[in-house]
Amino acid sequence: MSRRLLLGLLLIVSSAGAQVPGADRVQAVTLENGMRIILWPDRDIPNVALYNWVRVGSRNEVPGITGLAHFFEHMMFNGTSTSAPGDFDKILEANGARNNAYTSSDVTVYQDWFPSASMQTVFELEADRLRNLSFDPKIIESERGVVHSERRLGVDDSHFGRLQEQVQATAFLAHPYGIPTIGWPSDIESWSLDDLKTFYKTYYAPNNVTMVLVGDFDPKTVIELARKNFESIAPQPEPEPIRTKEPEQTGERRVSIVAEAQTPLLQFAYHGIAGADPRKPALELLARILTDGDASRLHRVLVEEQKLAISADSYIEAGFDPGIVWFMLSLPAGGDLARAEAVFGSQIDKVISSGVTEMELDRARNQALADFWRGLTTINGKAQALGTYAVLQGGHERLFDAPKAYERVTREDIQKVATELLKPTNRTVGILSAASGASSGEEG
Amino acid sequence: MQKLTPPSAVRWLLGCVLALAMSGALQAAEGVKTPPFERVQLSNGTVLMLLEQRDVPLISFEARVLGGARLDPENRYGTANLLAGLFEKGAGERDALAFAQTVASVGGSIQTNASTESISITGSFLSRDRKLMVELLADMLQRPTLAESELQALRARRIEFIRAAKDSDLSALTSIYGAAALFADHPYGNPVFGSEASLAGIDARDIRSFYESHVGGDRLIIAVAGDFKAAEMKKLLSSAFGKWRKAGSALPPIVAPKKITSRRVLLVDAPDSVQSYFWMGNVGVARSDPRRAALDIVNTVFGGRFTSMLNTELRIRTGLSYGARSGFDRLAQPGHWEMSSFTRSEATIEAIDLAFATLDKLHEGALDPAALDSSKQYVLGQFPLGLETASQWASQLATLEQYGLGPRYIDEYADALSRVALDDTNKVINDVFPSSSEVLLVVIGKATTLKDALAKFGPITEMRLADEEWGKP
Repeated sequence: MSRRLLLGLLLIVSSAGAQVPGADRVQAVTLENGMRIILWPDRDIPNVALYNWVRVGSRNEVPGITGLAHFFEHMMFNGTSTSAPGDFDKILEANGARNNAYTSSDVTVYQDWFPSASMQTVFELEADRLRNLSFDPKIIESERGVVHSERRLGVDDSHFGRLQEQVQATAFLAHPYGIPTIGWPSDIESWSLDDLKTFYKTYYAPNNVTMVLVGDFDPKTVIELARKNFESIAPQPEPEPIRTKEPEQTGERRVSIVAEAQTPLLQFAYHGIAGADPRKPALELLARILTDGDASRLHRVLVEEQKLAISADSYIEAGFDPGIVWFMLSLPAGGDLARAEAVFGSQIDKVISSGVTEMELDRARNQALADFWRGLTTINGKAQALGTYAVLQGGHERLFDAPKAYERVTREDIQKVATELLKPTNRTVGILSAASGASSGEEG
Repeated sequence: MQKLTPPSAVRWLLGCVLALAMSGALQAAEGVKTPPFERVQLSNGTVLMLLEQRDVPLISFEARVLGGARLDPENRYGTANLLAGLFEKGAGERDALAFAQTVASVGGSIQTNASTESISITGSFLSRDRKLMVELLADMLQRPTLAESELQALRARRIEFIRAAKDSDLSALTSIYGAAALFADHPYGNPVFGSEASLAGIDARDIRSFYESHVGGDRLIIAVAGDFKAAEMKKLLSSAFGKWRKAGSALPPIVAPKKITSRRVLLVDAPDSVQSYFWMGNVGVARSDPRRAALDIVNTVFGGRFTSMLNTELRIRTGLSYGARSGFDRLAQPGHWEMSSFTRSEATIEAIDLAFATLDKLHEGALDPAALDSSKQYVLGQFPLGLETASQWASQLATLEQYGLGPRYIDEYADALSRVALDDTNKVINDVFPSSSEVLLVVIGKATTLKDALAKFGPITEMRLADEEWGKP
């Protein structure tokens, strides 16, 4: 069950298209208490996707309470002063609604998908948990077990997850982006009721929330309903800003794990950009040129030609502050880590020294454009894209400017962003290798 | 067991919103009908299904070749899926690189796959590239290069993918072991992706022979949905596929697999795991089963949503697991019904006991009128979300054709759900959902600490995670 799925690292590969049908119908209002609401009516199906973005994530944590933002996400389903634990889910499901939530370094997002006739019920329940959340000590304890199981699934029993956690923690010396969103095990065991209460008051204030609705509704009616349900929730002082800036990295860092692995792993984490950085379109196209599809450079060289890797992937973390540009290689059993790393490095050097071709740039642009349309085929995709731009990338309107932003990217922009970010002194290299004596498998 | 009793105010609220939603979700779901589409059968047997939907400038398609992994030769599991992968590795005049560059250069997307009963090619292209889309699809199916070097490379990578999968989320593997052991000699147990050992044995002759026997115009369904004119698309596809040869052999019939009638255990040793991943299953129902609505309602209550009985016990009430679920695999004949979860190694037996006790509770009559109504609303309310996009419709249309169902399968579903009564749900619980003493239990975990305690559930067969097969003989 993927509910309350943890997305420690979140990438929205949305690009934008020229004229989005219905884009002119998007409306945004700010309630008197500072809660922001963005609406996009879309009547293809009689349903609504609601995404409630709370500006808190593992970025807002400190040692001792790592994982609290994600744990809090679980607790938002576990009862208020007016309703028993479990009622939130029971009532929603009885009204044809499904819900979920996820936490990243930057945000916690609560999602509901429901028939439009259930709008009022959904609003009542969402307002109730923003206003009246309560914490039952017994439930805190059982939910700790749930989160620990989630951690075992995604980190402890997954070599990929284990390595990524270590690389992330090594890449950041100072900034809280180094904290794993799921939390360190000792903190999962230790956070307290008071930690939860403080967290709620500080971050779950209406002025720290942006609610996005896409689907079959009349915006005027929904705005009225929102005022009725949410406007009387008291605002809180703005949360303290995150003051820490990651100092510039001036030399490569390395971290390694030795495990009973069949397939070795190699990860590269370069310090990158924030979501509102104007270099983002160029960086996205660069990542596509390197790893998107069987024609991409790293796939061709590492997987198809030299057979040093079985897959080559990338993703870009771009939130409130500069995140990580990731490259991940999976190697075959008994694979040559040193050679794979050297060939990866020479491919990156080649982009820095010689840039990319016009054909590669065109291809990446077309892929970005088509994926933009694919992302907007569902009310769900629209809600995710609108919210991402609204909260993390400088305003929801920028979603619709994205196609032009891709058009403007030149080969020089791509070479420049590669030169600025993908230098060896700016990266952390993670290696997961097989313990000696571990089954390395025989070539079939 | 702890039962959550809401305060009276909330119970009242629950009553009100239930009454309100009764009309809402049903009305909404009833409004979702199959849009008009055109079905054409070409003289070689190929079926075209065309549905215009002009929302965004994209065209989605799903091409299915009937047959799939159930036709994999013995000990050559993964053949159909390997062939599917090779369709992208060179076709027509293009070699693998040129093919990939062509698709990417127009922002196209193509995925190839096999499942138990078909090979599928799905994808989407911008509307302006529709001619290229048809050309590529025709090349892949009719003129695949099937180069020896590409076969070797892909086969080697697939073997490594399996090894990589065994180094990550093991919950994804339980059903592969489960189906292989449950169906035993029946082809529904064939591991679609193959195993390390079976893939290693597949050579170019196996691929060529499968292609010639089991791929051809009489086995093909092409469903296209999106921004195009049906008349033009029909012309493009008819001229590209109308003269294609038939498959070398007729589609072999398939018999219904037998249910198992006692409980046994498959223990897969994963010595380094910190959790145990478990799965229980037996033979379930066919795609065409007339009890579909009642089955969906019961499965939703039992293991198909967050507040399901299983998730309530294993996650919400006890905190033993991140999640627990159940579901059907519906095929031409009955596929499996499964339930699965995972928990820390030390709690394995407690969690399995609890899962079995929850299944027993279902049989003891756990479905009350409130659960029935809530489940109906849930299934009705979520139903339209699967019928939103062109790619969803292409897939739905292909399924209707593959299983001979017709649009009523979609259009009358909301009505069928609303008519389900408690008698119907009790009957399917009795007839379809296995009892806890008639299931195969698969556990992936630390064998040394689990083996003795698992013996109480039935006779144990042991394997190692590192073994290069899934237990299929």
